[in-house]
Amino acid sequence: MTESALSIPLAMKPRDLGFFRKVLRFFAELREAIVQAAISIASHKLRAALTITGISIGIMTVITIFMVESGMQASFARQLNSLGPNTLYVHKWKWGVGGNDWWKYKNRPVVTQLDWRALQKNATWPVAIAPSTNTTAVVGIPGQGDKDLKSVNVVGTTEAFLDAGSWQLKRGRFISDLDHELGTDACVIGADLEDAFFKNGDPLGQALKVGPMARCTVVGTLMRKGNAFGQSQDLRLVMPLSSFLRSFGSKRGLVIAVVAPAGKVMETEDEIISVLRNSRRLGPEQEDTFSVNRQDKILQGFNQMMMATNVVGILVGIITAIVAGIGIMNILLVSVKERTREIGIRRALGARRMTILMQFLCEAIMVAAVGGALGIALGAGGAALIDILSPMPAAIDPRVVVGGVVGSAVLGAIFGLWPALTAAFLHPIEALRYE
Amino acid sequence: MALIELEHIVKTYDLGLSKVPALRDIHLQIDRGEFVAIVGQSGSGKSTLMNIIGCLDVPTAGRYRLSGRDVSELSDDELADVRNLEIGFVFQSFQLMPRASALENVELPLIYRGVSKKERRARAQGALDLVGLADRMTHKPAELSGGQRQRVAIARALVTQPSLLLADEPTGNLDSKTGEEIVGLFHDLHGRKNTIVLVTHEPKLAARCPRAVRLVDGLVIADGPGVKVAMGNAEALGAEAVAQLLAAQAATVQR
Repeated sequence: MTESALSIPLAMKPRDLGFFRKVLRFFAELREAIVQAAISIASHKLRAALTITGISIGIMTVITIFMVESGMQASFARQLNSLGPNTLYVHKWKWGVGGNDWWKYKNRPVVTQLDWRALQKNATWPVAIAPSTNTTAVVGIPGQGDKDLKSVNVVGTTEAFLDAGSWQLKRGRFISDLDHELGTDACVIGADLEDAFFKNGDPLGQALKVGPMARCTVVGTLMRKGNAFGQSQDLRLVMPLSSFLRSFGSKRGLVIAVVAPAGKVMETEDEIISVLRNSRRLGPEQEDTFSVNRQDKILQGFNQMMMATNVVGILVGIITAIVAGIGIMNILLVSVKERTREIGIRRALGARRMTILMQFLCEAIMVAAVGGALGIALGAGGAALIDILSPMPAAIDPRVVVGGVVGSAVLGAIFGLWPALTAAFLHPIEALRYE
Repeated sequence: MALIELEHIVKTYDLGLSKVPALRDIHLQIDRGEFVAIVGQSGSGKSTLMNIIGCLDVPTAGRYRLSGRDVSELSDDELADVRNLEIGFVFQSFQLMPRASALENVELPLIYRGVSKKERRARAQGALDLVGLADRMTHKPAELSGGQRQRVAIARALVTQPSLLLADEPTGNLDSKTGEEIVGLFHDLHGRKNTIVLVTHEPKLAARCPRAVRLVDGLVIADGPGVKVAMGNAEALGAEAVAQLLAAQAATVQR
């Protein structure tokens, strides 16, 4: 027998451990707790797997809801940006509002060219004023019916439209004021139309038929914009307003886009209202018979709608958390029961209550975090699937990922606390005697 | 210098309706380097006394000084530290971690002292070597014989260099031959200046200890050389203790 290693005195006085030793001890205990938790989970694979599955399904559901939501929000914000922050839209309808006032807006007179002219003549703030209207029509090459494109968004507008929207010209020229005045057959086409009809050739100067009646000649093409809400923004044809009204009916209401100078949006809005009330001869007691819409107003309406979805998401989240938490509590209570003697041994060897508490909390947190991470992976997969398969956009928000893992770990700690406390407060003697 | 000083130690278990006295009035002093057996029938209070000496429990009344420090009113965490720093336990049923190897079992108390991984390993190996298990370090308890398991437990108790080795019926679960080996190991450790308190109900074991203390009904009725106490020799019985015992019993009857 040798006792070389044993005979070296342990590097401390028995009375008290110094601060440094306590820090060392904490990390040694933490490491031991993590190892023990991993062993405990590994030696009860089925039990742990069932709990983890429960948690991950719950987390997946919540994550999917929030991912779809944030995807929609991002996509909506992108679309709103294309409207321009300084642009006001005069329309019969108030945007972003549904519900009870429908008849009120329905019965209003449409916005017409008279309103446009009144604004052009009397409003001083606007940088640009662009009336527009649109419809959906079949567009094709004359004499090649098999190449027709359905559901093309056909827009009638004027030169100022380029300043109001976010369209960018790729080649050729845009509709000019002269086109409008004369009612020419000039048209500008979106990227989808260009690809479909003139893949290998120059589109400029080519003829297209729009709807059953109209013919037009391509004078320019637009830059590609991509999808929004699962719909292409490039399946589009722009023609002079006067030609549009001639072909598709002159009673159509317009939307007048008014670009305000930066920082003067409120002033511009007030001016538009007074000019239009004047031109429409509204008395002081009468309500406006038109609406001046702004990007952020729509966002407000959209956010109200999103709040409802959020409430549902949060409710589902809370229920999920409780169900998953009970699962964690259950697995941990069983674990404490099984290891009662082990707790007694550890206590006899000098483990403090905190040490035992930490050990079982580690197990709870580990189960919960693994479940959470798995749930996030599944949720991200689900969101990607929704993005591909449906027009609803879904985006993976890193905050959701971090929040999901942290949240489920916290959940594990909360629901693991009570079983861990019962373990920590076992009397060492009772625990040692437990069979 | 006295390692253990017990003064007027009383332990009463409160069972709701009745109060059961386990220890009535224990006076005991054990010096460093002693090898003391505590003997008594079951119910004599020897397990309770062991739990109190081992700081697993606190007395209802009285004062307990371990290495000169009063431990009778320490908090739970302070008691845990005292157990870790001062006491090495050896239990009848070994009380090893079933999933851990012999080496990991021996390392465990050092974790609660903040000893680095490398040093833990070296010391645990040294302790296992000391008890003659150098070739069984990676075995799990289930792969070891009863005697080997108890040797692991002894190594675990020794690895912290405790002031006191506290053994509770260490041969109770072993056959006589293996038990003999373990007793031999304790005597060997005593020879290396370890202080040992051995709790047992076997007079044969007590007889081989330099000193033995006999407990009856929660009182010390004999304290002297192991042979005499184990034989129930009247000389070993303190007259004062017998008188106390008789008085206490009379009081219980009257009540």
